[in-house]
Amino acid sequence: MYTFKQHSVLPGFNLALGFTLLYLSLIVLIPLSAAFVRTAALTWPEFWNAVTTPRVIASYRLTFGASFAAALVNAVFGLLVAWVLVRYRFPGKKLVDALVDLPFALPTAVAGIALTALYAGNGWVGQYFEPLGIKIAFTPIGVFVALTFIGLPFVVRTVQPVLEDIESELEEAAATLGANRLQTFLRVIFPTLLPALMTGFALAFARAIGEYGSVIFIAGNMPMVSEITPLLIITKLEQYDYAGATALAVVMLVISFVMLLIINLLQWWSRRRSALA
Amino acid sequence: MSIEVRNLSKQFGDFAALRDITLEVKSGELLALLGPSGSGKTTLLRVIAGLEAADAGQVLFQGEDATDQHVRDRHVGFVFQHYALFRNMTIFENVAFGLRVRPKKFRPADVEIRRRVQELLKLVQLDWLADRYPHQLSGGQRQRIALARALAVEPKVLLLDEPFGALDARVRKELRSWLRRLHDDMHITSVFVTHDQEEALEVADRIVVMNEGRIEQIGTPDEVYERPASPFVYEFLGKVNLFHGRLHRGRAWIGGIEVDAPEHTEAEELAAVAYVRPHDIHVDKVANALNGEGAIAAHVSHILSVGPVVRLGLTRDDSEDKELIEVEISKARFRELQLTRGNQVFIKPSRLDLFPAQIH
Repeated sequence: MYTFKQHSVLPGFNLALGFTLLYLSLIVLIPLSAAFVRTAALTWPEFWNAVTTPRVIASYRLTFGASFAAALVNAVFGLLVAWVLVRYRFPGKKLVDALVDLPFALPTAVAGIALTALYAGNGWVGQYFEPLGIKIAFTPIGVFVALTFIGLPFVVRTVQPVLEDIESELEEAAATLGANRLQTFLRVIFPTLLPALMTGFALAFARAIGEYGSVIFIAGNMPMVSEITPLLIITKLEQYDYAGATALAVVMLVISFVMLLIINLLQWWSRRRSALA
Repeated sequence: MSIEVRNLSKQFGDFAALRDITLEVKSGELLALLGPSGSGKTTLLRVIAGLEAADAGQVLFQGEDATDQHVRDRHVGFVFQHYALFRNMTIFENVAFGLRVRPKKFRPADVEIRRRVQELLKLVQLDWLADRYPHQLSGGQRQRIALARALAVEPKVLLLDEPFGALDARVRKELRSWLRRLHDDMHITSVFVTHDQEEALEVADRIVVMNEGRIEQIGTPDEVYERPASPFVYEFLGKVNLFHGRLHRGRAWIGGIEVDAPEHTEAEELAAVAYVRPHDIHVDKVANALNGEGAIAAHVSHILSVGPVVRLGLTRDDSEDKELIEVEISKARFRELQLTRGNQVFIKPSRLDLFPAQIH
């Protein structure tokens, strides 16, 4: 008989697997399935109507679009930050390193208020964009800014350890073989970092999709323009439209799950190629 | 291509890694840099490669100053102790790397690259592994691939940093003689770093013994082993016994034995140390069998008789010094003497080198 059980010096496979399943069920699966059960109160046409009104569609576009863009920006600049933190010595490095985690720790509402104050038309930063005709706060750009802020630590913290592990010998080997710096980066370092970078990207993306607190302050929440899906869910809840709220939740859940699955597959594929075993 | 190093110095903080090193590597030679860790041998190799910049001094390739040349432009093949293979590439792509990164007008056509890589993989006898990834290979295989990768760019010199250091003893021995044969076929000027004296003695044409950032001796394996230039080289290369004594006007007294010391005629009542290899000691059960002159009395305290050579550990009777004297005699001689533990024996060095005692 085929069995999943593998011999190991540490006992407790059955117990550990059982606990894992129970834990995941309690913490993740049961609450999520509740959303599905609630939604089931709607008939199919009702459900379809609830999740495809133009206002809702616009909110999907904003939520997923801004999250994707923010995660992309974080992937690029998070890599840069990680690079600087790993490769260079400079005074205050420890402080900068600690700063990276701040978006994790800060209550999102605080972040939202701070960002709004900064990027409003009369804020420290916003006042320089206002004359150029660019409004940041209370527009989709503001949403994007907030999502970039909260996603940064994910990329930095996933890339950093991998970068630390890359031996300088690899770069030296590339140099002795005649590769210039760009070639060394593109052919040797970047492919090694790619799986970690994609993990960081996926985490930042997932976090951004679920973000609520910091966004609602800076977004302005204009229907059709700067209204994110989580806000629509809250609005529906406040109107006691529980089925409508969970319908939206289900749609977000499915889309998020599919996207994360795709990213995970990509990651698995690139990890297999770079063979980190 | 010959390599010349002139008056190189290199400092890491307070630590002097290289102190005024001057060295010439002849074209087509296989040279070993031998020394304990911290002796500067790896630093010297890295400076030659251009991976490290010296504080002072020059590096010349074929008489041309290369001191300020970038690693990329030096055309050296470098092999690292821990292989440094690119783990995201197949073995084939690893070897092809040096050709692929060339500027377009110097880059061989794809077909040519394939041919060259296959040829190199055959040379290192691993052409059947072309599609694998580095982590699927054993240490010995990885190091051979690293060598093939370094050779792919047709380097003018080959530099190897403890190439067999991370391998187990049997593979190391195998690769050692394989490297020697490869060098005999290719005649590429090669320098390799090692802390393993056996490796250096077996493989190299010439050996540079280094200690504390200085060169202690340069010579063929025979020269450095038979005629060590300093106590350090004596102790580093092979086993050696120390006998304390004194020097006076060209004569030396070592534990009851009087010997000529022609190179120390100026010495006046100087403490001296005689260095004697274990196989340069006569052993007998009776004192006057050793030419009548004074011999050192000792007791056999242990015997290791595995293999063709028997190793004896002796304690001297005339000194409090509990340090063992190590002696190697042939099995035939051992049987003739019928030695067992606790026997009294008399020993006499048949060959020794005298150095004035170092004041610590």
